[in-house]
Amino acid sequence: MEIKMDTMRADEYDAARFSSNEREAADVEAHRSPDATETDQFLSEPAFNGNGGHTSGQRNRGNNDIGHREGAVCRVKKELCQNVFHGVRLWMIIVIILLIIAALIILSLFVCAAIHEDVDEKFDSSLFKVPRYFNGSFRLPNFVFTEELLTPSSNKRQALAAELQNKLNDLYRSSPALGRYFSKADIQAFRSGSVMADYTLLFHLPEEELGQLRNFTLSWEMVFNVFRQFLYDQESAESGPMYIDPDSLQMYSRH
Amino acid sequence: MFLWQYLTPLLLTTVLICTAQECHEFTDLSLSHAIIGTSLRVRLLLYTREISTCAALLSHTNLTAHPQFKMSRPTTFIIHGYRPTGSPPVWVNEIRELLLDRKDMNVVVVDWNRGATNVNYLKAVENTHKAAGNLTAFIKRMQDHGASLNDIHMIGVSLGAHISGFIGANLNGQVGRITALDPAGPMFTSLPPEGRLDPTDAQFVDVLHTDIDALGFRETLGHIDFYANGGTDQPGCPRTIFSGQSYFKCDHQRSALLFMDTVNRTCDSRGFPCSSYSKFLDGDCMDCGQFGDAGCPVFGYDVTQWKDVLLKLNQTKTYFTTNAQSPFCMTQYRVEVMIWNKEVRWGYLTIKLHGNGTEAVAVIDHKASEFRRYTDTRLLAQFNKDIQPVKKVSLKFSIGNALKPKHKLRILRIRLTHVVRKERPLCRYDVLLEENKEITFNPIPCGESNF
Repeated sequence: MEIKMDTMRADEYDAARFSSNEREAADVEAHRSPDATETDQFLSEPAFNGNGGHTSGQRNRGNNDIGHREGAVCRVKKELCQNVFHGVRLWMIIVIILLIIAALIILSLFVCAAIHEDVDEKFDSSLFKVPRYFNGSFRLPNFVFTEELLTPSSNKRQALAAELQNKLNDLYRSSPALGRYFSKADIQAFRSGSVMADYTLLFHLPEEELGQLRNFTLSWEMVFNVFRQFLYDQESAESGPMYIDPDSLQMYSRH
Repeated sequence: MFLWQYLTPLLLTTVLICTAQECHEFTDLSLSHAIIGTSLRVRLLLYTREISTCAALLSHTNLTAHPQFKMSRPTTFIIHGYRPTGSPPVWVNEIRELLLDRKDMNVVVVDWNRGATNVNYLKAVENTHKAAGNLTAFIKRMQDHGASLNDIHMIGVSLGAHISGFIGANLNGQVGRITALDPAGPMFTSLPPEGRLDPTDAQFVDVLHTDIDALGFRETLGHIDFYANGGTDQPGCPRTIFSGQSYFKCDHQRSALLFMDTVNRTCDSRGFPCSSYSKFLDGDCMDCGQFGDAGCPVFGYDVTQWKDVLLKLNQTKTYFTTNAQSPFCMTQYRVEVMIWNKEVRWGYLTIKLHGNGTEAVAVIDHKASEFRRYTDTRLLAQFNKDIQPVKKVSLKFSIGNALKPKHKLRILRIRLTHVVRKERPLCRYDVLLEENKEITFNPIPCGESNF
């Protein structure tokens, strides 16, 4: 509706211009021959020349506006259909420009998403220098204790220690939160009681944000519960010799 | 002897048929009555355990005419609301059956369909005062015959809720209980307490709101006001006018359905005291400490257990959410999430609980939740059913914007605490949630916490 009003106003303005300046009107007419007669009629209208009744003038203006609106549409249509060069019309160029703009916007969004860096995946492990130790014990209820496990050099002891160490290493290395700080796990001793195993965990922390890391990510609660939930998850092996009793897990942080 | 075995029951039935009174039904009118308009006529249909399917039409004056109407029993009045089409309310038969199953009582269905059926709502509103006057006289007569006002419970739906209020006010607030099911809003909203239901109308007034944005009443009216699903749009009700007349009445009618679910103890919906629905959804109102061991009041028929404490609190505004159909009650868990992402994350969590071969789902999407490093984000997860014990939990994180880069939520700890049951919370540590990817894990009982 507003657009229509605007064109109408523009037409009125045009008309005023034509009446005041016939040469200009003629110029425009050269562009739009179809409504030339209407414009002629308009120009001869006394209301716009200053004399004549007000009412008749308004009525006539209304009639002529329709003609002018059609005229304006035709003019735009014609201009859009103008040949820019060999068969390429103006409207085609406008459409192509719009399409390019849309394509650029979409492309930039995709590029932004693709090159987005996850700041949490970036870290420099050479800065991780402050050691943090945890130690404790757990119980293998299905493993039969033998004296051999007390001798550090015995094959059986070494094999069991290596297997448990691998288990702990895999567990903490694959942890999304703790993995980057984890250094190594050690099985230090076995004791009787079926088999009780003593272990040590070593983490290295950066100086930066040390306090927060100690309180949250590398708090006793996190390190302990990552281990504990891992033990609760080992459902299938409940009867196997390598099964660790989740309730037997003990852990202490060493400062 | 052999012959008598067959003859006795036969004779008995004949006797019963001969002595049995005519069964009276709720007035069934048509749309044409609504257009012409009806003038008020209050019919009182009595149902008891002896005549649970065949109503006796009570005389307003001669109460002794009905031997089944025993004043020693408690009496529940069911008062319906505006009937724009003249049809009997769909819930009216079921609710009296459920009430009689529950307790040995007199159920009086107040049938003022002639009076409530009118295209002109204002006429029906006018009739509420007249109907209330009529019923007040009837209850006074009941008192004369030995009934106690303490044993009178009025269940009023829509306009019926205000009728109950008027009767209660006429009887100086001595009536035992008024239950208002989505009390009518139009023409009552701006009125002073005398012109509508209010807490002084009975010893205990409990109110349910299900359609405060259209046909219901927005403000609190009772000692306890329950706002189901915030009191506005009820789940399962049509959102557009294209669904026909159920678009207008579904939310409003839901109030009766929700109440009926509590009469037969399908399951409990607890109302959590809160100043606004959005705060409730944010999980800020899970504290039920003021109600002691009983916990937050359970919506519905049995809310009388909380009567004493609620009367002390004067007026309590509570919220609960429901499913789209019966069983309507939902199960609430408090969820605390702590992340270690350097940047703040916004998004929605979908949580599933698995156990006993079924699963319950909760989507926390009333608004995007904010997750901040090393800070517990507290959320309220409402599950469509209660799973016990929970064997597995699934989590999904979504940002809700396909154009944004895929973010990950790096959870240090997630803790799920059943709001009502006092049991050990469930925890999981160190979870990496990729956007729109569901992760399932075994929760472990939470250990002691230092952060």
